[in-house]
Amino acid sequence: MRTKYQNIGLLFFAVLGIIPFALSFIYALLYSLGLVGVANSGFTIEHWQEILESGEFIKSFGFSAFMALIAMVFSVGIALWLTLLFHKKIQHKTISFLLYLPLALPGVVSAFFAVQILSKSGYFSRWFYQIGWIKDIQEFPDLINDDFGFGIILTFVSVVMPFFLLLFIGVFKTERIAELESLAASLGSRPNQIIRRITIPLLLHKTWPLIALYYIFLLGAYEIPLILGQESPQMLSVLIVRELKQFDLTKISEGYVVAVIYTVLVTIMTLFLFLRRKSIRIDG
Amino acid sequence: MKKNIWYILLVFSLWSACQSSQEKPSLDLSNTEWSAIVEQAKGSDLHFMMWQGSPEINHYILEFVKPRLKANYDIELNVIGGQGPEIVQLMMGEKQANVESGQVDMVWINGETFFQLRQIQGLWGPFVESLPNAQYVDFEDPFISIDFQQPVNYMECPWTISQFAMVYDSAKISNPPTNLDELKTYVQEYPGTFTISNDFSGMTLLKSFLAEISGSSQGLNGPFNEDNYLEWSGKLWDFIEEIRPYLWKAGSTFPKEQTKMDQMFANGEIYLGFGFGEGAIDDKIHQGLFPNTTRAYPWANGTIKNTNYLGIAYNAPNKEAALVAINYMLSPEAQLQKADPKGMDANTVLDIDQLPDEWKTKFQNITRREYGISMNDMKEYAIQEPDPRYMIRLYEDFRKYIIEN
Repeated sequence: MRTKYQNIGLLFFAVLGIIPFALSFIYALLYSLGLVGVANSGFTIEHWQEILESGEFIKSFGFSAFMALIAMVFSVGIALWLTLLFHKKIQHKTISFLLYLPLALPGVVSAFFAVQILSKSGYFSRWFYQIGWIKDIQEFPDLINDDFGFGIILTFVSVVMPFFLLLFIGVFKTERIAELESLAASLGSRPNQIIRRITIPLLLHKTWPLIALYYIFLLGAYEIPLILGQESPQMLSVLIVRELKQFDLTKISEGYVVAVIYTVLVTIMTLFLFLRRKSIRIDG
Repeated sequence: MKKNIWYILLVFSLWSACQSSQEKPSLDLSNTEWSAIVEQAKGSDLHFMMWQGSPEINHYILEFVKPRLKANYDIELNVIGGQGPEIVQLMMGEKQANVESGQVDMVWINGETFFQLRQIQGLWGPFVESLPNAQYVDFEDPFISIDFQQPVNYMECPWTISQFAMVYDSAKISNPPTNLDELKTYVQEYPGTFTISNDFSGMTLLKSFLAEISGSSQGLNGPFNEDNYLEWSGKLWDFIEEIRPYLWKAGSTFPKEQTKMDQMFANGEIYLGFGFGEGAIDDKIHQGLFPNTTRAYPWANGTIKNTNYLGIAYNAPNKEAALVAINYMLSPEAQLQKADPKGMDANTVLDIDQLPDEWKTKFQNITRREYGISMNDMKEYAIQEPDPRYMIRLYEDFRKYIIEN
């Protein structure tokens, strides 16, 4: 009976998960090589050469990796810090409800809020104007569509940080870290030592696969960098969509090249994560 | 178990194959009376893919065209949101999958999309000559019969004609620039208040600049010329490089779309803008978005004037309904309503001289725009859309030499 259910589960996983993914990947690969596509005329590696030589992909990949990294460092860092400081208070119902709220917001809404608050015509700009800190709209600093991706990072953090805060609070409880802390204290550890050697390592050890998966998720984020990013460099998903929608139909394949490279890299990262986790389990 | 999976997949693929092969017999316009087409269209659902970014245009289609198509012809008009790239992507996908009965019957396109759809043979036709209301259109007018330097050949039906114009806030600037030299002086005087959007509108502006550099408003006419392009565009990039420090955000980035520029114009971040529909400022002033000191004006060497069109998808399931709807949208009644400056404010493509007297008077009595400039006033500044390859190269090179540099 159990095997039957397992088989049905596997079938659903194959039909809904693996098969569409594999078919899309094969389609993208064929498109990138000019083998399918109405505007393509047969096998060519021209599109691959174009993308690899132009440097735009590398730049975009580097930019995406950097944005996602900074956002994760801040999100996890702030969440850890808040957990250590307030883990008791946050368990309170109202506060945890307030933390769940940002999780329910889609990326596009968060990005829209960021525009409302941070743009040159946004709330901050207006307040600064009212209190006389700026005399002109142009004087307000660029916080969105800016060179350093400030708006993107801030919005990423506002979306991701509450998730990790809730996660850490949960782990704090289930792993009974508070009890371990008092045990360590009674054995003579200093508070600093407890945090560095017990609390933080335990929290991170239990959650790092999620941290890594969230990093991959941010790497491929679309709406937030689309609305808050600039025209160059663009984050990967924005670049892919731009290439797919371009005016010159003979170059649409370049979008598929980027999509294929991105998919391969992310798959390798996920497999690496999964396999390493498995080996740790066997070792442990 | 494995066997079962393959069986399900087989059934599924057979089912989807059957789905795409149910098609009505193809329509032969040369042997069909118009009345038979109208009869055939009765009771059908018509799927119209159009850009839905303007409340006025949506209002016109949903509140004026849709109820009349239902009442007069028993056609149910369904609007699907989507513009240029989405239309092209959809049709490329359907072509690829050999879908014989597509999702969309009718599309609203401009020259950019017409050029792309022509490459993939995504349009059905020629059909325009068969429309009874086509008799009021002057097909000798090159701005109607030639799209991006290519003859339209009755494959798409003209719907609206408009010209690109510059836009400025007269409360902030007294003498807006009308040529590149003046633009240089302007940006130095008002740094950070001008930019170029990286989209169709921005590239249209660059085409005007390129024509000015060529030394004539007709400089870009004819087939694409590589040598000329390289010479003129080189000068254009040098010019933009020179004024870059004085552009919005010191030219470190450029807005993705013209709508973003409109927002920046509305909140006073930039003082100088541009747009089709002779600048399209009246509706924005009426909405309270633009200040009522906004004015539109021509560029001295001229700006692009072009027409946008209605087309029928190569695999449209209801071609008859599309024909009837397009004919209605070309009628004097529908075109007059569309020209209302307080509504969609879009110039008619009909030749007023060819209309029956009753309609001629109605068109002549249309109230003038309150703030914007009329296409008639811009007549001597009209430039034809150049060969699409100019646009392709401008897109590529603007990114390569300016945005990424």
